[in-house]
Amino acid sequence: MTVTKKESMTTTEKVAAPTLKAARTPGTRRRQGRAKITPYLFVGPILLVFAGFYLWPALSTIASSLFTWGMLNPWELGAPSEWDYVGLSNYSSTLSSADFWNAALNSAIWLIVFPVLVLAVSFPLALLVWNARRGSGIFRSIFILPMTISLSAAGIIWSFIYNPDPNKGVLNALLRVVGLEDASFTFGPLEVHAGQWLSNPGILHLGMADVRFANLFVIIPAVWAFAGFGVITFTAGLTSVPSELLDAARVDGAKQSQLVRHVVIPSLRPSIVVVAVVSVIFALRTFDIVLVTTAGGPAKDTEVLAMLLWRQVFQYLDTPQGGLAAAIAVLMSVFMIIISLPYIRATLKEQQ
Amino acid sequence: MRQRRWTVFALYGILTLASIIWLVPVVTAAMISILPLDQSGTGWWRADLSTATLENYGRAWQQGLSTYTLNSFIISISSVALTVVLGTSAAYAFARMKFRLKGLLYFLLITTMIVPVQIILIPLVPWFRTLNLNEGPAQFLGIALVHTAFGAGWALFMLIGFFSQIPEEVLESARLDGASEFQAFRRIALPLAVPGIVSFIIIDFVFVWNDLLMGLTLLDSNHRPLTVGLANLQAPQLNQDDLISSGSILAIIPPLLLFALLNRYYVRGLYAGAVKG
Repeated sequence: MTVTKKESMTTTEKVAAPTLKAARTPGTRRRQGRAKITPYLFVGPILLVFAGFYLWPALSTIASSLFTWGMLNPWELGAPSEWDYVGLSNYSSTLSSADFWNAALNSAIWLIVFPVLVLAVSFPLALLVWNARRGSGIFRSIFILPMTISLSAAGIIWSFIYNPDPNKGVLNALLRVVGLEDASFTFGPLEVHAGQWLSNPGILHLGMADVRFANLFVIIPAVWAFAGFGVITFTAGLTSVPSELLDAARVDGAKQSQLVRHVVIPSLRPSIVVVAVVSVIFALRTFDIVLVTTAGGPAKDTEVLAMLLWRQVFQYLDTPQGGLAAAIAVLMSVFMIIISLPYIRATLKEQQ
Repeated sequence: MRQRRWTVFALYGILTLASIIWLVPVVTAAMISILPLDQSGTGWWRADLSTATLENYGRAWQQGLSTYTLNSFIISISSVALTVVLGTSAAYAFARMKFRLKGLLYFLLITTMIVPVQIILIPLVPWFRTLNLNEGPAQFLGIALVHTAFGAGWALFMLIGFFSQIPEEVLESARLDGASEFQAFRRIALPLAVPGIVSFIIIDFVFVWNDLLMGLTLLDSNHRPLTVGLANLQAPQLNQDDLISSGSILAIIPPLLLFALLNRYYVRGLYAGAVKG
């Protein structure tokens, strides 16, 4: 008895009774009925967990963004009598709130600065390690080390570095040595306060908006922790650079910089894409490191979207802001899916 | 020749400098963690090393970090075990078998890598209550299931490549010898994918061990992981740098050891799986 591909079950819930359906189908093609069940036995368990603990909560978030509710009495599918439907007003009030745009600006800074710094730091480091014949293992291990450190631990460790007391913090001790302790400068729209790393390091006045640098000093520990991923990925990628190509280019008298530009970078493109995509994903999710370094402060200078969302739903339990938080989560996800669509499509194509 | 010597010199010079900069944060935390507070308070780089002690670790351990550490181990090991078992078999099916809605299912699972965790966070709280996963040790099962759902995309992303590289003839000959599809998977495919599985274990363990947000949101205070315990210690006005630093060093060690042990596999796994052009 054989079945057409079309006739087999559509969802994992039907895994229990696939033989019935297979038996009823007039056979035409390819595999045995029994063999048709096998794939579902392999993928079924993870799909069940995925459906229960990812898909369902994600759909609930989307649905609950259309209602007004608070965490003390959360929106639930099973309790329609308590629903307070508000349509898209959670989205319109989110998109018109100053807090949202403040957090969105900080998240945008993360989305741009974090991947750029990760690439700018890890690519040269990987190239240097690649060029070093002796001891490359030691150097690579040192650069990879922070990768295993959680962002919350990284934030805490860097708080020691950033300690404003020059008797405790390394950076301010160095500033004192060069005589820049507590120095402040102004260059046109740029305002810099040396030594106030996480509190008030400086502002770029841009007329309509001020860019505050405190974000940068929260991003730096994250880059330190994350660059190892870039180093390891590039190191792996560099082993695939065709050595014949390198030798040929050297024989032709290419300089090191030309080698990098015309041979190394093109063959590393997949690694560069992986590092860039993964660091963009991490940048938008960021929460831990902000929580332990600044908790979004001073004022709301370093508050990112993930933090605003969390504050709205779990900090103000008595005010019904859950729908607003859900709307932020949906907006973040839609944004992320849109910008990574080309990458998903490429991965899908490779899969098929 | 002379120019070459200079470039080599410069290369190692830059690498050494970068390594030192890279190590400063960890060295700082480690030094503060082994010094009494009055020594580290005047600059650890000037401290009298003869005062070094492990007393801070003992105090941090007694002040609750022991529970947090145990919780972290329970959560990480159970989550990784579940994800590896379920993820490996699913990756095998995605790589070697045909079934309905494969493209759509793959897309949905892969989006778990991309979509921010915040999209599932809020409804999980009432959902855990409904499923009775919000009290006692059942919370560990709950968070392990969430980590599994989240790790599924990564598992597929990293492991499919390994399974699809296995030549069809190898699996076919096993089937001709009378092996079921499951036996072919366990005896032939699984051993060949070990480098990929090991590198996935490292990534997933590091990811779960380092999670703060889900542990903070979904678990009660007796079941929270070390990351949350650390974040709770972090209160600048309390001046407990000694406890915080030893706690952060404690939190670093397990994933670091795992990584050091399995580093070789990891690079190989990443090379063969994820970044192959």
